[in-house]
Amino acid sequence: MDFFTAMEVSASGLSAQRTRMNVAASNLANAQTTQAEGGGPYKRKDVVLAATGVAGTENTPYAQAVRGVEVTQISQDSKPPRLEYDPGHPQANAQGYVAYPNINPVEEMVDMITASRAYEAGITSMSTAVNMAERALGIGK
Amino acid sequence: MTANFSTIDHLQAALTYHRERHTVLAGNIANLDTPGYRSADLVRQVQGDPSSLAVSEPGHIASAAGPDFVTSLDDSGKLQSPDGNAVSLERELAKIDANRTRYATSAELVSRRFALLRYAAGDGT
Repeated sequence: MDFFTAMEVSASGLSAQRTRMNVAASNLANAQTTQAEGGGPYKRKDVVLAATGVAGTENTPYAQAVRGVEVTQISQDSKPPRLEYDPGHPQANAQGYVAYPNINPVEEMVDMITASRAYEAGITSMSTAVNMAERALGIGK
Repeated sequence: MTANFSTIDHLQAALTYHRERHTVLAGNIANLDTPGYRSADLVRQVQGDPSSLAVSEPGHIASAAGPDFVTSLDDSGKLQSPDGNAVSLERELAKIDANRTRYATSAELVSRRFALLRYAAGDGT
């Protein structure tokens, strides 16, 4: 293992958090979308994260301790849609109700803030690796 | 002469340990939101620990050298969130920073050791 392994691990975290941010942004953007592909209102999306092994560490005795992260799936929230009475709406059903996505903007904002903080933490650990590598290069100067 | 280079060897082992530990700690940060993830750490077992027998005569048998670092799953914080994740961001960042400082210290010591050797090998200027 070298510093590039540490940077690879940090990069996996950064890209997972960026995906989370994209998904939260897409949920927010579609909070009022009453017709998504496949019919019906837009369904809230969520990322599924899982720890993974890192290439190049298999032969070390502590390989199971080095864990990157990856987005294994983008799942759909199965919560029922929110019904609002609006008989004039073209998507209203026979009773005059329109099905809106099951999205709570506050929840999405919290998710975005969490993702952004985790991203910052990932940047910190990445720049620490760079700083350590620079220190090593300074030996013998 | 051997003393000069064995110091560098020890420092090199310390540099390797801190580098590998950083990789493990970076993995904890990457898995800040992974359900069920528990933070890992690397613990260094210094070879020739005080409990082992000293080798002072050619006929003595050295105690077996164990692995240089071992992994440990760190649950001491018990800060488990409902999804089973037990990574504390503050603790991990503190560890990363302390680890980086130790790395910088070892790197500085190696530099000084080399400077000393250069001084001794040169004409004393």
